[in-house]
Amino acid sequence: MLSDFIKALRSSNVTVSTAESIDANKVLATVGIENKLLLKHALSMALAKGIDDKKIFNKCFDLFFDQNMRLDETKDHDRQLSVESEDEHTKAADVLNSLEGETLLSILESDDQIALQQLLAAAVQDVQLQNIRIFTQRGVYMRRILEKIGIDTVDERLYTPTDNDDAEKSDFETLKNLKASLIEDVANIVDKNLLLYTANGANNLRQEILQKTPLARIEVRDFKVMKQLVSKLAKKLTSIHSRRRRKAKRGYLDVRQTIRKNIQYDGIMFDTIWKRVQIDRPKVIAICDVSGSVSQVARFLLLFLYSVSEIIPKVRSFAFSNVLGEVTELFENNSAEVALAETIKKWGSGSTDYGGALSELERVVGHEIDHRTTVLILGDARSNYGDPGHLALRRIHNRAKKVIWLNPEPRSFWDTGDSEMQKLGACCDRVEPCRTLNHLERIISDIARTAA
Amino acid sequence: MPKLSKLSSEEVINSAKKELEGHGYIASDEIATALYLAQALIKPILIEGPPGVGKTELAIATSKLLGKPLIRLQCYEGLDESKALYEWKYGKQLLYTQVLKEKLSDILEDAGDLSQAVDKLHAFDDVFFSEDFVEPRPLLKALWEKNGAVLLIDEIDKSDQEFEAFLLEILQDYQISIPEIGTVRAKVPPVVFLTSNNTREIGDALKRRCLHLYIPFPEHKLEQKIIRTQMPDVPQSLSKQIVNFVQSLRGMDLKKLPSISETLDWTRALVLLNATELEPHLVRSTLNLLLKFQDDIEHTNPEVPTLIRNAIKDS
Repeated sequence: MLSDFIKALRSSNVTVSTAESIDANKVLATVGIENKLLLKHALSMALAKGIDDKKIFNKCFDLFFDQNMRLDETKDHDRQLSVESEDEHTKAADVLNSLEGETLLSILESDDQIALQQLLAAAVQDVQLQNIRIFTQRGVYMRRILEKIGIDTVDERLYTPTDNDDAEKSDFETLKNLKASLIEDVANIVDKNLLLYTANGANNLRQEILQKTPLARIEVRDFKVMKQLVSKLAKKLTSIHSRRRRKAKRGYLDVRQTIRKNIQYDGIMFDTIWKRVQIDRPKVIAICDVSGSVSQVARFLLLFLYSVSEIIPKVRSFAFSNVLGEVTELFENNSAEVALAETIKKWGSGSTDYGGALSELERVVGHEIDHRTTVLILGDARSNYGDPGHLALRRIHNRAKKVIWLNPEPRSFWDTGDSEMQKLGACCDRVEPCRTLNHLERIISDIARTAA
Repeated sequence: MPKLSKLSSEEVINSAKKELEGHGYIASDEIATALYLAQALIKPILIEGPPGVGKTELAIATSKLLGKPLIRLQCYEGLDESKALYEWKYGKQLLYTQVLKEKLSDILEDAGDLSQAVDKLHAFDDVFFSEDFVEPRPLLKALWEKNGAVLLIDEIDKSDQEFEAFLLEILQDYQISIPEIGTVRAKVPPVVFLTSNNTREIGDALKRRCLHLYIPFPEHKLEQKIIRTQMPDVPQSLSKQIVNFVQSLRGMDLKKLPSISETLDWTRALVLLNATELEPHLVRSTLNLLLKFQDDIEHTNPEVPTLIRNAIKDS
């Protein structure tokens, strides 16, 4: 029973390790199951180790033990009926067998609620309802449970013609009603289990697929999930890289200075001097093509850059299609959605002009680009057969630490038509296709590693 | 707390609650359950919750309850093992070498040759790095305590990640390795409390080894009971009004919500000012005891009359 509960917890995204489930078993053995509230408190201490986890735990617990407590009440009853056996599964079978004498029909007719619950519980265990995965399986499991408890005997009785007498008819009516409510009961049980064991299954699957979907093809309705994903990734990267920086702060022993300083103590190394590592404040200049074809990808790149601003403290962002404009302030002062919409509205209408944009960039921030600056360019390099601006980019490259070009098109599309990837790519340190969130994560992680 | 005997766990928990109350700590069911489980399973408790809800107090009350000494380790950034676990008594060791130097000729007098002398000297190494020269810090003290102790590792979230990893051995097996001496193991495992204000996420490895207790802001009744226990002479009507007022404050959008310790401070102040019920000017002048940010105080000031009216109406 406990292992089923832990399974339910895990499916709701509470991480429960093996050690913790062993603890939970010990807890269960110590407090027993007589007092539900006590059990809830005790188990939550062993299994849910965070505020968010606790909330999920409480929900799961109520859902799970609401139905299982009812089963337990009937279990006391069945102890007299069936011999206790180690394996729960055979126990379930036992109950089914022991009840075989009384058919579902007789149970329904005698209105024996305890026997009915018992029968249902045994059937649920027998069909292994906890393995339910997706909502389309609802029908299958309902049917299986109904078959297990012997709905056919009821059907038989209902559909065999008998003599038309009134008493019999009213009997039929009650039986029909009983059957309907029974089916409803079963449906409820199945629904509850579905909710319990698959709370996050669908969501997880969706996120997993979204990570691999080309950014340009993500639908508007998925933006919300996407935003969560992006900030999740950003958080992950931040925690990885912030740790590294803290470590670097301490520095290493400066032997020369230490010896010098300790002359006053007769040369005993008493006062150590640490050479602090200069913290390199990386600067990132991001330029996004926001014309129609790549605006989707730019949207996520910009979102991402702002989410990771904790690891990369200085980001200046520019957007262009035919004219170049700085969007740094816009992003700082507005929420991400507003800023994104505004950017695309303001700069995304023209046709792309790489030559103009790159030379404009050189004019505006050229003097700021130095050996600590990473220039990040996102675009498909399609310049409408105009000047690709590779000469300007070459000059930028000469000054910058690194120039990285991210192209949302797959490699096989480069240099086809008006794509100038070859010319522009030659002026970059790295050229990467950036089509999915996974790509994006890898690239940003790389930048953070080399920059921070 | 009574020994775990034939009493059912419920009874033990209830009696623990009562006894804690006797020591001035009003525990909720969850807190009492956590204490009971920690004793039954011999596991540390990791307590989380907003500041001022009585995380540290719980450890103090427990130590009184069990009659075991409380050993407290306050965590901060840069805390390392020489401050948490043990240190060598350098001064004493130096003194010892001086003494040894003087006695050296006496000891080595009858040594025939060099190798014999070296053998004799070898016997002294062990004394040099022995328990006599160890200065125990909180963690080691807790392990050495013969009848067990209550170990409070306060604000673990303030310490470095490395220190967290270092704690794992103690929390799991109640033992610690000192290279020169060997493994020190607790005869009676101490009751360990770790507290965290959640300024950073605690590592999974540490969480796994602990029972996790979250203490939220107290409910209405519990908070009143706490006030009554701490200050029995506060009039009933006033304490009700105070609790109503504070509870509705917690519903507002504030930078830092007032917790129990603030409620108690405020009550004390009101009693000192001979208040019998809440009045706007009185509340305004003492609001800084409840709210610790100027923004919050300014934000709350215009609402004070309404809040007081509601608090009096409900009581």
